[in-house]
Order: sequence, then structure tokens, then C-alpha cells
Amino acid sequence: MKKSLFVLLAILAVLSFPAFAQGGGESASPKIGFMGPMSGDYANYGVLSNNSAMLAVEQFNAKGGFGGKLPVVLVTEDSEGRVEKGLSSIEKLSSSDKIVGLIGPVLTGTSFAVGERVQNEGIVMISPSATHADITNIGDYVFRTVVSDGLQGEVAGHYFYDKLGYRTIGVLYAKNDYSQGLYEGMSAAFEAAGGKVTIAEAFNVGDKDFKTQLTRIRSANPQAIYIPNYTAEMAQILEQASQLGMKIPFLSCDGFSNPDIYKLAGEFTNGVIYVGPAKVKESPAFSTFVSQYTAKYGVGPDSFATNAYDGTNILLAAMDKVYKASGKFDRKAIRDAVAATKDYPGVSGIVNFAENGDLVAYQGLYKVNKTTPEYLGTFTVVDGKLVQID
Amino acid sequence: MLFTPVFSCYRTVQFSYEGESIVGIAEFFQHLMNGLTLGGIYALIALGYTMVYGILKFINFAHGDVLMVGAYVGLFLFDLFRGSSPLGLWTIIAFFIAMIISMAFSALLGMFIERVAYKPLRKATRLAPLLSAIGVSFILSNSAAWMFGTHSRKFNYPFDNTPLHLGDVVITPHQVLILVVSLAMMIILKLFIDRTRMGKAMRATSLDQGTAMLMGINVNRIISLTFAIGSALAAVGGILIALDFKVYATMGTMTGLKAFVAAVVGGIGNISGAMFGGILLGLLETFGVAIFGIPTGLKDTIAFGVLIIILLVKPEGLFGKVEKEKV
Repeated sequence: MKKSLFVLLAILAVLSFPAFAQGGGESASPKIGFMGPMSGDYANYGVLSNNSAMLAVEQFNAKGGFGGKLPVVLVTEDSEGRVEKGLSSIEKLSSSDKIVGLIGPVLTGTSFAVGERVQNEGIVMISPSATHADITNIGDYVFRTVVSDGLQGEVAGHYFYDKLGYRTIGVLYAKNDYSQGLYEGMSAAFEAAGGKVTIAEAFNVGDKDFKTQLTRIRSANPQAIYIPNYTAEMAQILEQASQLGMKIPFLSCDGFSNPDIYKLAGEFTNGVIYVGPAKVKESPAFSTFVSQYTAKYGVGPDSFATNAYDGTNILLAAMDKVYKASGKFDRKAIRDAVAATKDYPGVSGIVNFAENGDLVAYQGLYKVNKTTPEYLGTFTVVDGKLVQID
Repeated sequence: MLFTPVFSCYRTVQFSYEGESIVGIAEFFQHLMNGLTLGGIYALIALGYTMVYGILKFINFAHGDVLMVGAYVGLFLFDLFRGSSPLGLWTIIAFFIAMIISMAFSALLGMFIERVAYKPLRKATRLAPLLSAIGVSFILSNSAAWMFGTHSRKFNYPFDNTPLHLGDVVITPHQVLILVVSLAMMIILKLFIDRTRMGKAMRATSLDQGTAMLMGINVNRIISLTFAIGSALAAVGGILIALDFKVYATMGTMTGLKAFVAAVVGGIGNISGAMFGGILLGLLETFGVAIFGIPTGLKDTIAFGVLIIILLVKPEGLFGKVEKEKV
């Protein structure tokens, strides 16, 4: 771990050296920050996304930087995936490095804490991977290039009501942020549309026996059951429901897109409808990015790293726009330019930000035929209405 | 949400409380069935705890992990024997062969653990073998996680587990198997201890090791035998649970703890008490949540709440005898 960190710092040093050299006497070379776990259990997420930020910065500087003369400097801070470390890192980035924008943090927990700070300091932040629905509610300086968990619940609630025609739904969820967040999101949308969640049963993480909860749901007799959980629990639930002779259709979430479910639950998965990632046509821009990234770092990018690449480029484009207009790098102006991003052609697809800083994105709907998921279409929710994209 | 009113077409008769329906007949019997099978599993595992305690006055905290090893062995053997043959007589035979070999393996493992980790501490303070048992428990579960990974593995049913409908109450062949096997194991064990020479020797050892030895009983052999039987029962319990709850490295931890509570509730050291304690605990857990409105998130606390109450009110357990402190 120490060694890889050293190599990383070395790369950073080499990368920033020509920046200093070119910048020379001009102290105006703007800095942007990257924050993520570069060591510890989650290091892989941080390292892959930081690679993207470095790649984007390098490509930007190779094209001449701002106004053809001013390169950008990237400062990477290791959050170790811990909130306390994240807070001291943002302190350093903000007051000592005087960054004008931040890519990251990578993890949801750190993003909540750091988001509060950047909001107060007036530094725009773009997270590639913090999915919790409430992250962007921190304030108008917080953006993300990853789909919010909130959208999934919203699409689910509307789809169940509008397309599947259900009016009553039962829910069986786990007591963790993920499951509970999806349950609450789906319920809000489903009830706003006019449906009713007639029974919601909870269980603890690690439970294996759901017969009590299922028996109660069976008695409440809803038209369908929503089970927003991870594969191990969902397999168990589907099997025990069949043991209780339940014929009620099951609905699920992106946790179901992990193929492990078919190993654990076999044909009990037949007929399950779930909300998962939208199918994206692979663009030429995406394959160029993947090959450049892989050539440089020896490993391919994960989906968060892809998001980090788009986020960094969006930030640089916004800075460029502000610099051309004013000759300065004003933090507020940069935030406004990021918010004004329209139809940005990113490698992950066309990027737009919603009013609250969320990525405008889509969800896919799937129906399982025996043990094979079939694609039903791509959906999103605009102004409280379900919209089918294709 | 405490009591859920029920308005479905399922039932005609309902338990009422001041005019408000609480739970229907069908739902009540379904919960009863679920509680009985859950309790049957606890009872089966509690037998192992209670036997070891009865002889050695020592709680074998590695019991739940022996159960896990038994389940893994059963899983691998069953998959090996079964190959790709469809459900039928052969899969049932393969299942029972796998179970018997797994019982033998677990029995050897139990004897080995006793020899290596507990026997050298027999004359040490009472705390020492207890700590050693916790150590063995960690070693077993961590080794399993290291060797087999931390994901759950599916133990396929060797028979057609299509549920049977008794009116609106549904019961699976697997649930029947759990009840039958638990009951059979308890009766066999009871007959063995009450009617055979070996059993007599076990009872003698349990009463007083020193005197038993003077009477010509090989106490070491009896203790080994106790661990062998207890571990073999754990393997049966592990395999029966695995059919329903899958196989994973920490599967013995929570079930083991609850079975321990069941043994204490029934009166630790008492075979029928363990059976009764297990069934009672299963029913309490199911009905506590389903009828008495305890939030589902607190389901696991029921067992330990019962443990505390029993320890305060009747520490010798429901079926236990009050023992005088040996001087």
C-alpha cells in the first residue's frame, strides 16, 4: 500500500512539475482537488477514480491549458475513507492549496461531511460515486455524476403504479441505508401517484428466516411485494415465499442485477420485475477513454472512474468558460458554470444536472424469465411523471 | 404498526379483541407451524449443548461452529454423490449417506477438539476451558471463511419440496423432516442414556467423575463419546438448517447462541428440557413478532430477554433440578 501510494505521489509530482515550470512566475495557475480513499479497505475505488482525474488534467494541459498558456494543477488528498480524515483534507485543500473545485469525495459517508464544508467555503464539488439520495440536498455547490438512489425509488414507485397497474404493495426491507432508502423512495412515489403501501415489514441485516414477516404480508394480501435488498436475502425471501405457497408477484431493485441471485435462488426468480442500470449504447468516446486509461494505468476504469473522468472534464470546461469571460477563476462563477452545463457529451453518456445538482439519469426495467433477465425499457421521472426513453 | 388488521378473503373466523381483528385462524396456524419448525432446529442443536454440560459442567461454545463444519461436509458430499441426477430415490439416499459421513466426520472433529483444547484444561479454573472454547469457535469459523469464502452456498433439496396445503395453512416436506428428525434424535438419545450400559456410565460420570473412575469407568472414553454424539447431532442440525438457510462460515454463531439459550431455558443438562426449551423459544420468537407486536427488528432480542428472565427467576431452568454446590 505504501509503495503504491509512493508511486502515485511520484506520478503526481512528475505531472505537476511541468505545470510549475510552465507557470513560472505566474502564480495564477489554478488548482483543483481530488479526494478519495487512496489507502485502506476502499483504496481501489479512490485510486481508480483519481487515475481518471489525472488523465483528464493531463489531456487538458497537453492541449495548452487555459487560454493556451495556463495549466491546471491537480492536488490529490487521501481521505482513507474516514470522515475525520476527509475533514482535515478539505481544510488543507481549501485554505492552503486554495482549490477552485473538488472532484470527490468517493464514499457517501465522507461526502456528507465534506459537502457541508465545501458548501460553506463556496467551492464546487462533483462526486463520481456518492449515491445516497440526500447528498445533493446539502446545498447548491454539491453535484454528482452518478445516479442518485432517489431516482431508483422514484422510477420504481411510478412504474409499479402506472405500467404494472398495482394499487397496493407490501414491502419487506432490511434495516440498512440502502434497503431502507429504496423502500422510502419507492413508497413516497407510489403513494404520491395514488397507490398504497399496505404493509411494510423490516428485518435485521444477517437474518435468514423471513417466514414470520412473509406470513404477515400474505395475510395483508397486497397485489405485489417489493424487496429492495441484497442477493443473499432476496434469494432466501423468494424461496421461503414459495414454501408458504405465496403466488404474489415480487418486485426488486438494482441489487437484483448481480448474477449471483440466479445461483442462490434458481428458478424462484422467475417473474420478478426489477429496476436496474439503464442499458447504454457504448459510444466511441467511451472506448477511446477506456483504451487510453488502460494503456496508462494497466487496469481498466470502473463505473465510478468513468464518472470521475466526466466530472473532471466538466469542471475544467466550466473553469475555462469563466477564465475566458473574466480572466480569473472565481469560485462562485465556476459553480454557476458547472450548474449551467447543458448536454455535455461525456464518456458515460450525455450529462445534464438537475436543479438540485443530481445527474439527470435513467433507470432500466427488467423482467426475469426463469433465470434470464429481459429488458423492458429505459425510464426516468421528470416533474413527477414517468417518462420512457426507449 | 402493532396489530395489523386483516381484511382478506382467506379466513372466516378471526380472533377479536374489542371488536378489532388481530389475526386470522389460518394466519395463526401458519405462525404456529413456522414457530414449531424453527423451535425444532433450536432443540436439535440444544441437545448437544446440554449433553456436554451435563457431563462436564462446561458450555462448549464451539458447538455452533462444529455444526457449520458438518453442514459444509454434508454439502460437498451431497453434491459429489448426487452429480447431476434429477430428484428421486437416489438423491434421497445420497442425502442420507452424506449426512451419515458428515456425522462421523463431525464426531471425530468434536473428539479431536476435546482432546486438544479442553482435556488439558480439565483441572484448570472453570473459566479456562470456556475461553478455550471461544478460541476454537473463532478458529473454525475463520478457517472456513478462508477456505470456502464468505458467500452463502445453496444446499439443494434432495426431495421435491413443493409445499402441501392443509386448507390455508402451508407446510413443506422439509418442515416435516425437521420435526420428525428432531423428535427421533431426542427419543434415541434418551433411550441410549437411560437404557444402555454406556448411558449408565455417562450418567455416573456426570454425577461424580472421581467415583465413576473408581468404579472402573473409563471417564476419558465417556467424555470423548459425549463430544462425539453431541457433534454428530450438530452435523444433523447443520445440514437440516442448511437446506433452508444456506451454508456459510458464520451460520453456527447466532443459531448456536439461541440453541444455548434454549438449553438453559429447558434446564441445562436435561435432555427433554432442551427439546422443550427449543420449541418454546421458536414459538416465542414467532408469536412475539407476529401476535404480540414486538417489532421485527427486535426479534433476536426475544431469545436473550427470555434468557435473562429465566436466569433471574428460575436459574436451574424449567426442567432443571436445583443443584447443591459441591464442597
